[in-house]
Amino acid sequence: MKISKKESKEKRNKGLSIGFCSMVYLFLFIPIFVVVSNSFNATTSKPYLSWKGFTFDWYLKLWDNTSLLSSFGNTIIIAVSSTVLATIIGTLGAIGIYRYKFRGKGIINGLLYIPVVIPEIVIGIALLTIFSNVKIPRGMLTLILSHVSFSVPYVIFNVRARLSGYDKSIEEASMDLGANRVVTFFEITLPTLAPGIAGGALLAFTLSIDDVIISYFVNGQTKTYPLKVMESIKSGVSPDVNALSTLVLIGTIGLVFLTQSGLLTGKHKKI
Amino acid sequence: MTAKTSKHEFRSNTVPAFVTVGPVAVLLLFLVVAPLVLVAVMSFCRTDEFYNVVYKFTAVNYTKLFSVDYLRIYGQSLLIAFVTTVICVLVGYPFAYVIARNKTKWKKLLYMLVIIPFWTNSLIRIYGWRAFLGSSGWLNKLLMTLHIVSEPVDFLYKTGTTILGMVYCFIPFMVLPLYTAIEKLDGSLLEASSDLGAKPIRTLFEVIIPLTASGIFSGCIMVFIPCLGYFFVSYILGGGNTDMIGNLIERQFKSANNWPLGAALSIILILVTLLLVKLYQKLGGDMDNLGV
Amino acid sequence: MKRKILAGLISLSLLALAVTGCGGKSSEKAGDNGELNLFVWTEYLPDSVVSKFEKETGIKVNVSTYSSNEDMLAKVKSETAGAYDVLNPSDYMVAQLIAQDMLKPLDFDQLPNFSHIGESYKNPSYDPGNVYSVPYMGGAGAIAVNTDKVDIEITSYADLFNPALEGKLVVLDDFRAVIGMTAKAIGYDLNETDPARLAEVSDKLMELKKNVVLYDSDSPKSALISGDCDAGMIWSAEVAMAMEEVPSIEVIYPEEGPYLFLDNWVVTKESPNYDNAMKWINFVMDPDNMAMILEEFPYLCANTDAIAKMGDSYSGNLAKNPPADAIASGSYVQNLDSDVLDIYSEMWTKLKE
Repeated sequence: MKISKKESKEKRNKGLSIGFCSMVYLFLFIPIFVVVSNSFNATTSKPYLSWKGFTFDWYLKLWDNTSLLSSFGNTIIIAVSSTVLATIIGTLGAIGIYRYKFRGKGIINGLLYIPVVIPEIVIGIALLTIFSNVKIPRGMLTLILSHVSFSVPYVIFNVRARLSGYDKSIEEASMDLGANRVVTFFEITLPTLAPGIAGGALLAFTLSIDDVIISYFVNGQTKTYPLKVMESIKSGVSPDVNALSTLVLIGTIGLVFLTQSGLLTGKHKKI
Repeated sequence: MTAKTSKHEFRSNTVPAFVTVGPVAVLLLFLVVAPLVLVAVMSFCRTDEFYNVVYKFTAVNYTKLFSVDYLRIYGQSLLIAFVTTVICVLVGYPFAYVIARNKTKWKKLLYMLVIIPFWTNSLIRIYGWRAFLGSSGWLNKLLMTLHIVSEPVDFLYKTGTTILGMVYCFIPFMVLPLYTAIEKLDGSLLEASSDLGAKPIRTLFEVIIPLTASGIFSGCIMVFIPCLGYFFVSYILGGGNTDMIGNLIERQFKSANNWPLGAALSIILILVTLLLVKLYQKLGGDMDNLGV
Repeated sequence: MKRKILAGLISLSLLALAVTGCGGKSSEKAGDNGELNLFVWTEYLPDSVVSKFEKETGIKVNVSTYSSNEDMLAKVKSETAGAYDVLNPSDYMVAQLIAQDMLKPLDFDQLPNFSHIGESYKNPSYDPGNVYSVPYMGGAGAIAVNTDKVDIEITSYADLFNPALEGKLVVLDDFRAVIGMTAKAIGYDLNETDPARLAEVSDKLMELKKNVVLYDSDSPKSALISGDCDAGMIWSAEVAMAMEEVPSIEVIYPEEGPYLFLDNWVVTKESPNYDNAMKWINFVMDPDNMAMILEEFPYLCANTDAIAKMGDSYSGNLAKNPPADAIASGSYVQNLDSDVLDIYSEMWTKLKE
């Protein structure tokens, strides 16, 4: 009797929590459904909101929209180059800060938190102010510099987390065996830190690729994909933008599942 | 002899330190410190008749900021950010709890499902909400088909719509740190608590919440602060009639052409941020939990 | 945590490599004859016309858009000199740009199509003798009403302040237009400068605040078409485009006389592509090309020969081709002193909070 009461209560609780979580998932996915379904909308009149039938046309028209595609290309170029730069600068910095004693270390440590906690809009206007005062033309260069500046702290934090469990004696052993500093760095230090570096790089890449607010202030006439979307929102987002977003989403999900299932890393090939 | 050793020591430590930390230091100096110092300086300047910044000291921007209208916008922004944070905690906590304590094989998938929406550009998702909530949007069509309402309901362009958009943008920043904190909870503690006769509600308030407080704190900081600056959410969903600090700053640097005033607004926003971060540290928050 | 959020995004680069490969190549087709950087109003220049120009001339055109004259000015001033070649400012902003010495005189030897511009549009007060500018399109801040949803009669800007319209309006996101309209509604000038009167205007704006749900200069027709707004003060051609989608929408020119604007082509002082800029301006003054533009964005047009090609669907449409008496009764925005503009800015902040 008592047990069945407890069971029914647990059942009710389980039902409640499933219901609640489904609602939250629905909330998270509603806009995705809207974006994906509107990429199949046959409407051709602005603001492209009323449903006029199903079509795949926008997936073909997408390839003629050169300004959209080139903005996407810009985003990738900026993301890749800022990630590479931020990863190199950040990794070196993390190692240096961890290993050496020097004046101003505390200051550097403190400053690293600034881009992380200060609202992006402040970083954006501050960068705009400095670029316009020293007369650096706004464009690809300023976008890359800005993206590097906000991603470096994240790289450093990731590498530093890895460093805290790092055993210095392997390096000393390597040096004792006659390897010089540079060889030791590439042969011993880097491989040990690799997971932290990769995590930091991934984070830098993702931050760069979806950045709107900072890019909005420092882009000049170079359009990134998020800025292109922002511009198209002004006059109604045309379904080809939805189509590109859908493709990106599908591509990402596909690749994640491939990596997760080990098909890309080749884990399954070992018998 | 001694001179030689110290010179060698100097080389052996200074050069590598310089090579490794140098780039970061240069970067921080030119792209973080210098811009912010310039903004601080500019906040004490004014513009001429052609909107050019004149570098001549004045405190007029700050006196302006303490006028009722600006204070009201500050109050409104803080309120919106606060409500957003509270909703994120109230919805995010139980949600994170259920996923984190889930013991089935679906756990990983459930976790991924929180992340997947964020692989789509954030602006277009916010715009998706506009399409969903509009007078001729999905929600109104559904409500009218079900005969719940006879005429479209105006959901768009209200303060509530802005808050909805903010919650949407930031809820993962609440859920994921909470997930990590809750997953670390030791299940035997909860059992012990209930074995000792504590009612679930007591276990919740005296065991679970205190043990996951760090996750709640860092989640709150990661929702509240960026919320103040996200101008495009109120731009897309608020219809431009619920200005927040972010919109105000954006306008000074764009259409209003008043950079010094925008700079002063930014300085205030920085001070608010630092205050909150200090509070966070006082409460025992770890800086490394923010943003990563 | 963000790492986990977007862990999969790295894969984007793979996808993107393919995309950029395609996008990059096709965008290089035009560009043998240099570049041209245009900065124009949103929803004011069809893509088809730009690509026609690119094909005819081999010039690569980069189009950026803005939502207000002040936005444009801010962006141009914050960029390094020569970032933009051609701008599209309204009347008063042309005067402002001339005063700031930001423009280069036009070379009319390269602009034979200037002959197609109507005489009444030549030699404007903001640029006597058309030294720096040629007119493009213009219109009025007209009232749009969806008669299916609004029962009250609307004939003036003052009617938009009627409490019956609470939560129903869309107005331009443009402080000079909205404040000017409010001043007109209580009988003052569009360019009111008297502080006492402006205080009254400010109070009146608070009535408007209750009625307005959306501020949009880019595409205010969208909210009228989707039904999110039922009335508003928007660009006249935007009313025309809304009327085509929703027949119950009507255009009204206010009794007080509408707010008018006329946008122009100008070339920046440091323009690195001056000859291409001239080619562009001459190209858009060609009546056929201008007619193409009017098909998509039916504004009041300074090019009388283009209008002749448009036929009655354009000339007979009140929203596309505002009646002469409405134009005669209307007024243009004037440049104001910075003290007065400060008051305007404060009023605007208060309205939008």
